[in-house]
Amino acid sequence: MKKIILLLVILLSGSLVACSSNDDWDSSKNITLYTRDTSSGTRAGFMEGIGFSDAAEDNSLLAEGYVIKDNTGILTSMKTDEYGIGYISLASLNENVKGLQFDGVDPTIANVVNNTYGLKRPFNYVIRSLDDFANETEKNITLAFVAFLHTSDGADIITNEGAIPLTSNSTWDDIKGNYEVCNQDNSAVTIKFGGSDSIEKIALALTEAFAPKCGNFTPEHDHTGSSDGFKRTQGSEKDGVNYKHVGFASRPFKDTETGSEGTQGQLAWDAIVAIVHLNNEVTNVTAEDLKKIYSGEYATWEQLIG
Amino acid sequence: MSNKRKKFDKLLQIITYASSSIGVLILSLIVIFVIKNGVGLINWDLITNDYHAQFYNGGIDEVTTFSNTSRPINLDDEDVYSEKWGIALRDGLDREGKPIVEVTYIAEDSPLNLMYDKNNLDNADFEIEVENVISSIKFDNKPSALSLYGAEYMINELDAENQFREIVFSSLGGGIRGSLITTLYTIGLTLIIALPIGIFSAIYLNEFAKKNFVTRVIRSMIEMLTGVPSIIFGLMGLAVFVPLTTRYTPADGANLLSGSLTLAVILLPIIIRSTEESLKVIPDDFRFASLALGANNSQTTFKVVLPSALPGILTATLLAIGRVIGESAALIFAIGTTIKDDISIFGKSTTLAVHIWSLLTDEPANIELASTISIIILIIVLVLNISVKLLSKKYLKRV
Amino acid sequence: MKKTKQWFKNLRNNFHFNSKKEIVDFFVRLVFLISTIISASFIIIIIAFIAREGIKPFVTDNNGLGAVNLFRFLSGRVWLTGTTFQSNLYSVGFIIINTLYVALLSLLISMPIGVLTALFIAKIAPKKLSSIMRTVIELLAAIPSIVYGLFGAGVILPFVYNFAKTLGIQSPGGNSVLATVVVLSLMILPTITALSEVAIRSVGKDIEHGSLALGATKTQTHFKVILTSAKSGIFSAAILGIGRALGEATAVSLVAGNAQNGPSFGIFQTTSTLTSTMLQGLKETIGLDYDIRFSVGIVLMIVILITNMVLNYVKKKVGNVNVK
Repeated sequence: MKKIILLLVILLSGSLVACSSNDDWDSSKNITLYTRDTSSGTRAGFMEGIGFSDAAEDNSLLAEGYVIKDNTGILTSMKTDEYGIGYISLASLNENVKGLQFDGVDPTIANVVNNTYGLKRPFNYVIRSLDDFANETEKNITLAFVAFLHTSDGADIITNEGAIPLTSNSTWDDIKGNYEVCNQDNSAVTIKFGGSDSIEKIALALTEAFAPKCGNFTPEHDHTGSSDGFKRTQGSEKDGVNYKHVGFASRPFKDTETGSEGTQGQLAWDAIVAIVHLNNEVTNVTAEDLKKIYSGEYATWEQLIG
Repeated sequence: MSNKRKKFDKLLQIITYASSSIGVLILSLIVIFVIKNGVGLINWDLITNDYHAQFYNGGIDEVTTFSNTSRPINLDDEDVYSEKWGIALRDGLDREGKPIVEVTYIAEDSPLNLMYDKNNLDNADFEIEVENVISSIKFDNKPSALSLYGAEYMINELDAENQFREIVFSSLGGGIRGSLITTLYTIGLTLIIALPIGIFSAIYLNEFAKKNFVTRVIRSMIEMLTGVPSIIFGLMGLAVFVPLTTRYTPADGANLLSGSLTLAVILLPIIIRSTEESLKVIPDDFRFASLALGANNSQTTFKVVLPSALPGILTATLLAIGRVIGESAALIFAIGTTIKDDISIFGKSTTLAVHIWSLLTDEPANIELASTISIIILIIVLVLNISVKLLSKKYLKRV
Repeated sequence: MKKTKQWFKNLRNNFHFNSKKEIVDFFVRLVFLISTIISASFIIIIIAFIAREGIKPFVTDNNGLGAVNLFRFLSGRVWLTGTTFQSNLYSVGFIIINTLYVALLSLLISMPIGVLTALFIAKIAPKKLSSIMRTVIELLAAIPSIVYGLFGAGVILPFVYNFAKTLGIQSPGGNSVLATVVVLSLMILPTITALSEVAIRSVGKDIEHGSLALGATKTQTHFKVILTSAKSGIFSAAILGIGRALGEATAVSLVAGNAQNGPSFGIFQTTSTLTSTMLQGLKETIGLDYDIRFSVGIVLMIVILITNMVLNYVKKKVGNVNVK
């Protein structure tokens, strides 16, 4: 019994120390930079958006003492670090951190859709070369899926998942006549989707909604990263055990990832938000501010506030 | 005994107690952490439901008569009701923490009961039901009402019209039944492969092998396996076991079997080391006695040595199960990250840990559901742990 | 090995066994031997596999970027100089030091705790309590490393951040050597405890009784006799533990801060390990930036190998009360 009490005491004191943090925010403190790694599509989009594209793939241009984290890591760090600044995908923004206005515009879906919010990156897709499908059915379903991506029905799903679709005027009802394959029973056909895991949720929602429209084919999702998107459809692993029919990339395709004509395209935009701790007094930044912060010209918050 | 000696002993005692309570402390902190985050989502449906939602596209012919059922009194304040269409909707959250719009009531005379299945015109059973999730209502002349904007918006948009093009609705997905079954399959398969090889190797190394250079090399080769990062195991599994299994089984691509083989390799050093340590405990007298009685080496091994080593083997098994349940990096490559509802050992699927991984690499990450799954993992381990112990108690008594 | 040869000789020369028992005996031994060979061969498969991928950056021109300089790679103090995808100036020198530094520190924390816990479970605790403690350790071993990572990011990082703040230091969100060491120690604790416990239990009762008979107290016996006798097993636990610490990736990458230059010795500095470097951007990247991660993998394997050898050497030197 004594031991249990002792244990509780240790536990309690431990958690007390963990919770005790005071609320005054001191602008004379240094800014701690948080960034994604150099292969991240979010980073490329962010750096381009703030006019600092050189730093997209070169860490040495960033101010000293930066921390490299993934999307979730930056989000959780901004809950703790009162003097940090980072950037995340808009879909991840929650009430535990403060999303900064960019050039005076609030980071909301509405503002991205009406094109006033400027920080964003593309979501892309790539399919197998048209002469490289195992059979006509698989090819036609894949083509029908790509067509569906560009309908307003596809756009609705993308919006629902927090990304921003490209504008489209036709509905699936308008064009489904062109896709004879969707009238037959495809339940024995498996179409494989892969590539970027940032796009996994959107892709999953799209295929779940599209499968019943196209003969109930079986979509199989295996998302392992943007570079696998091209590699497993048209690149070195296209005939390997993990081949895919459709791949996604949450960044622009690299020069080495140029596929055959008519097999690549964009399906959506993803907005990027600069975030800080809730205690932070700053509410708005400009592209130039962010560039000065990330290049180290502004070392403390004071310098930004002025 | 001197007083000083006593005090020193006491001090050492206290240090020992304190050290062991650290393990308990860590476990409690982690448990508190996952429960705090994940307890909200825990319920039986999560465990028994499918992951993939079934989607339906409902179309409707021109509507002539609308509903005139007034708002039922048993609806909550959060329910938004459309008298014209006879349907009540409510904002909710799905298992991934995403906002959804649920159907909470449909009136008898609702025109929505007249909807037909746009994807299969012959489907007579088609109907929207309470607990379905509406993802969008599409109109001919204006933007769709999406679940993202909430139930109230959806009802207002619907009320303003006499006609719509399509309602997209679905069952509630996000269950983890598939991943749970996969995890159990994987544990079973992996142990079937790894235990015999591991135990036999340990016996060979401890009972038969000469203490010479070759044995030392073999030993350190096995020990080196423990230092290989899981991700490398995964890539090795992808390069070796996946092609192997696709060639000799009906599998097409990474599958449960290739994943289990990969995990088995990860487990080998743990099983070998732990079994060997327990073999060392057995006094040589036992072996000599058995041999003196005329038993040969293999009889001695199976009848005398192995039963005495059982507790060590059990520890190894439990550690191994723990490792299988917790492993994600290797499995991402060796089984894949396809979350499935129909499980076959020759198909792709995810274990619970990979399920967690895939929740956390999503943007936004779903920490709540990840924590919930962690709770489930802890419960599984606890149950397995206790049952193995009970079984071994029974068995050990018999020996 | 020699025995096996002898059997084969037997088989060839006599072509008959004296009894059925001997045939069984022969085949059982054969199965054991084959199992052992299988277990040992995987490391070769793995080394061959990563060597095939990992040597590429040093011997090919990497699509025009030029071969990576091996000496620079092993000694440099910045992970990558220049722009990703356009530069071949990679180095892991400082990362090797970082990795060893955090792994040794975590071992330093985990070893005493783990061994004492093991002693407690094996010798001191009453039967019920020891069985509960064993379950606790087994549960800890089963927690997915990604959950340790989550716990690290959600609990340890704020803790370190606030701890630094009390000391008047502005920490980058707690991402630091300290946080990494704490998380790693938590993760290797169950491994060390479980294996030390087996080692401690394997100490012969006669040794224990002998010590008690000579008038030593129980505590004295535990610390002076049993722990000393179990040294070899405890060292094996340490080897497994440090192996896990060196090879752990997911959790570390969530709390280390992934410093791109170093080495970092200050406990509040951000750091990076070989595994966190391998993992960083692995899924998104292509070309040399992808291949080089396998070279890091080779370096990691060599680091582990050398650490193992050194520890095995120490294990031998420190002495070994053979309990068998």
